[in-house]
Amino acid sequence: MKTKTRTAAVRTLSLGLGVALLATACSSGGTGEAEETSGDTGDSTTITWWHNSNTAPGKDYYEKVAADFSEANPGVRIEVSAMQHDDMVTKLDAAFQSGDAPDVYMERGGGEMQAHVEAGLTKDLSEVAADTISTLGSSVAGWQIDGQTYGLPFSMGVVGFWYNKAIFEQAGVTEAPATWDEFYAVIDKLKAAGVEPISVGVGEKWPAAHYWYYFALRECSQKVLQDGVSSLDFSDPCFVKAGEDLEKLVAAEPFNAGFLSTPAQKGPTSASALLATGKVAMELAGHWEPGVMQGLTEDKQGLGEDTGWFPFPAVTGGKGDPAAVLGGGDAWAVSEGAPDAAVDFVKYLLSDEVQQGFAEQDMGLPTNPAAVEFVKDPALAALLEVRDSSPFVQLYFDTAFGTSVGGAMNDAIALVFASSGSAQDIVDATQSAADAEK
Amino acid sequence: MTDVADDTTAPRGATVSPATSTTQAPVVGRATARPTARVAGGRRGPGPAWRKRAEIAFFVAPALLLFLFFVVWPIVKAVQFSLYRWKGFGPLVDFVGLRNYVSVLQNDVFTDALQHNLTIVVCSILIQLPLGLAIALLLNRRLWGQGVLRTIIFVPYVLAEVIAGVVWFQLLQPQYGVIDAVLGVVGLEGPPQGWLGTPDKAMIAVIAVLTWKYLGLAVILFLAGLQGVPEELYEASQLDGASWWQTQRRITIPLLGPTVRTWAFLSMIGSLQLFDMVWILTKGGPANATTTMVTFLVTEGTKRQNFGIASAASVILFVVALTFALLYQRFVMRRDTQDPAPRKKAHR
Amino acid sequence: MSAGTLTPPSTGQPPRATGRRRGVKRPGGGSPLVYGLALVVVALTVGPVLYGVLGGFRSNAQLAETPAGLPSPWVLSNYSGVLTNPDFWRYTLNSTVIALVTTAIVVVFGMMAAYPLARYRFRGREQLFLVFVAGLLFPATVAIIPLFILITKDLQLGNTWWGVALPQAAFALPTTVIILRPFLQALPDELEEAALLDGASRVGFFWRILVPLSGPGMVTVGVLAFVGSWNAYLLPLLLLQGGMKTLPLGVADYSSEYSSDTAGVFAFTSLAMIPALVFFLAMQKRIVNGLQGAVKG
Repeated sequence: MKTKTRTAAVRTLSLGLGVALLATACSSGGTGEAEETSGDTGDSTTITWWHNSNTAPGKDYYEKVAADFSEANPGVRIEVSAMQHDDMVTKLDAAFQSGDAPDVYMERGGGEMQAHVEAGLTKDLSEVAADTISTLGSSVAGWQIDGQTYGLPFSMGVVGFWYNKAIFEQAGVTEAPATWDEFYAVIDKLKAAGVEPISVGVGEKWPAAHYWYYFALRECSQKVLQDGVSSLDFSDPCFVKAGEDLEKLVAAEPFNAGFLSTPAQKGPTSASALLATGKVAMELAGHWEPGVMQGLTEDKQGLGEDTGWFPFPAVTGGKGDPAAVLGGGDAWAVSEGAPDAAVDFVKYLLSDEVQQGFAEQDMGLPTNPAAVEFVKDPALAALLEVRDSSPFVQLYFDTAFGTSVGGAMNDAIALVFASSGSAQDIVDATQSAADAEK
Repeated sequence: MTDVADDTTAPRGATVSPATSTTQAPVVGRATARPTARVAGGRRGPGPAWRKRAEIAFFVAPALLLFLFFVVWPIVKAVQFSLYRWKGFGPLVDFVGLRNYVSVLQNDVFTDALQHNLTIVVCSILIQLPLGLAIALLLNRRLWGQGVLRTIIFVPYVLAEVIAGVVWFQLLQPQYGVIDAVLGVVGLEGPPQGWLGTPDKAMIAVIAVLTWKYLGLAVILFLAGLQGVPEELYEASQLDGASWWQTQRRITIPLLGPTVRTWAFLSMIGSLQLFDMVWILTKGGPANATTTMVTFLVTEGTKRQNFGIASAASVILFVVALTFALLYQRFVMRRDTQDPAPRKKAHR
Repeated sequence: MSAGTLTPPSTGQPPRATGRRRGVKRPGGGSPLVYGLALVVVALTVGPVLYGVLGGFRSNAQLAETPAGLPSPWVLSNYSGVLTNPDFWRYTLNSTVIALVTTAIVVVFGMMAAYPLARYRFRGREQLFLVFVAGLLFPATVAIIPLFILITKDLQLGNTWWGVALPQAAFALPTTVIILRPFLQALPDELEEAALLDGASRVGFFWRILVPLSGPGMVTVGVLAFVGSWNAYLLPLLLLQGGMKTLPLGVADYSSEYSSDTAGVFAFTSLAMIPALVFFLAMQKRIVNGLQGAVKG
């Protein structure tokens, strides 16, 4: 037996050593394969590009875009990394910390971007991309700090109530509610018809938070809101009133069963899936909703023709403009220290041509006005109209405030949904997190 | 705590107990009796002692270096972060001293998380101990398919947390989830908001899933420990006419003592560090009902980019774990580390 | 690294001189009650896993409509899609290599380190052991960031197999040393004395006698290290991209920012757990024997 175990041990060790040697031999090949270094090497430049369209059709489209650019600009190579969104965020943070950030990457704007800018990680695009900026118009506002632009938004959408037209009809709801009083009446009708009125993904907190952001948008005048957002001062009573509106909504119990742990859009029991499969009547969500719903149904049609949308209702007595919308999007940003070709590439990404293709693939709501009419999906096209005709688009608060304040705020809002927090708590939590930042 | 593994050894036989580690290696006595033997470390004196130290260094160095480099150094850096306010990129410039620590200890979410951890520590041991013991005793009997059963018990442990979490999340959904369907068959009802959606019930669900995942480990360990019970004792008790249950109670279980105590220690440490499973099931929700210290620091660190706070919380966690470990070592493991009979080997 | 990874300590009871045969005389036998209980245990244990496996045979829409139902119709495209995806095999290769390298390092270094800690006596021995144990008490997730910077910037090992295997092995060392120490302590001193008398050096003793006798112990820590590496997520996530990814990371390919292919995830994860299970199945006998081996010596 001694011999057997000894041979076994020897075998294991030699296997291990053999593998180790093999690994050494191969790893150099492995490193070479997926190298991420960028820079000028003689005549050729390599640009690293990270994006989150990791599934078809977006993934294929972006590869084509990269290839087209390389063709048009000989000597420039683009290394594309398509990643799942959460993974991309994790890796971006790590890359920033190690100083190894990609040349072109996605920015969501607001406070999140501000942290990058203050650390000197993001390039100022105001001058080098001036023409693109003027083409994009007011949508760049979310990516500007002190008048300087650091990101070029390529997709920007708005948040509103998506609803199932068929269910509404069944329940006898003929018109989309324009005020909150009407909304409560609709909830009653839906409950009477035996349908859960609203699905909400409190499990991930941010879908729930959108309710409070919108109430604040309705309760507070634009000036108060903008001042509050920029100076991180929430002492105006309109913010507490927003919380009270939210408390009233939660007390009406309009949400799906298990809403406190429902995810937003991933999986068959997510808020979006509930809407897509006809288990609830409506959901407050952004422009991604139709695409998400289509992926969650057998026939890939989502709600199809029954897809309806109406804006967040007006609050009686609120000082905000009922036509104001909450929205946000993604922008392309360039790392400090990236080669000049990276800026050219970003401008190319915002060009009429690329944005049109983007629109045709239904990848989002393009910001370049020349591409707007190429959006095929009727629901998305309707959204575009709303976005472009709205007097004021407010960036999601959690993005605008940055991750630390945004996180604390979303937490407090989720607690109100669980009936273990109050309207005042939301303001207090946000204020103290904001003060800690100063 | 240093004697964690030692205390499972009975003082008989060739075990080295730290209490007697001050004596010379047994070889010394032998070797000096045979002047012709050239044995490393055999004679006292500067030469061989130096060689012994070199050998120790040779053996320990690779592991130690790897460990110091990849584990200890990052920990030291992380502790350094705890003294600053830092967003995760750029230089460390904002020194705030102990302010992060104060902020963490005053944070309700953290103190609640600490309570949750303690609940999990206690519940894990209270539930898995009798259950694991019972199953181990059952599986210890001559059963057809013993090997297969053992493997099956261990399967949940081998599964990646990601997989287990995803599956259980689906199972626990309200109304449409399988668990609620099964309960319905028996005539019970799951909570209307779902197990994972009701703050009061979420912890119960989490503990149930944890039990499912780690019970196999307890069973396997106890089974192995059971192999160490001498046959003679069973035979003797059978001769005395004891029933199966009496045998277990009077002989088997007490002899499993050291194994159980060691398992409990590892279970405790694991419970304090709990993260993956909770994160996938609830992310600490709903309404912070299932937070643990590690979910807290991951939220602060990677989600909110408050790396100073996250590092301070992890140092506090370390101190808590260390305290537990030391207390456990002193009061629970004490028994096992004491040698009733002094070792005779050295006095040859 | 899983925070919940527990490790089996050795029971380390001394060898019995009676040469008793293993596994023969056990109290009682199988009775219907016992088998019944065993069946219940099996059902509860394996049930959720089966759910995951069956989930791979359904489509996302089926899952959305009736999460609790059986596949109807049985959809084969998820599983076939995974099996025919070259990425899946590439990830499997990466996972395998990294796991094997990690295991090799852990077993070799762990044995080497446990040897003096178990069988030598020297000043500072317990303190040294304490250093290893302390590594267990600190949450690894916090050390990730400085570790990541160390590996990618300072060592330039980002996106390589070694870059992941080395730190994983380092983190697995404390539990390895904790398990191996009593194993090695349990071996009789006489062996060492005899070897040294015969003129062997300590190193020779280690290599020729100790290692072969520690087969079961090495297998135990090897299996734990392998499984730990196979299932690791966070460190590979930060260090690997593209074709170098490991299996757990591959799950992310099935979900995008706004949706996820849950059925695909089930199929993928069911297939991904097979190698770890097979490996464990092959080794499980030796583990229990290994833990017993500390008893037998």
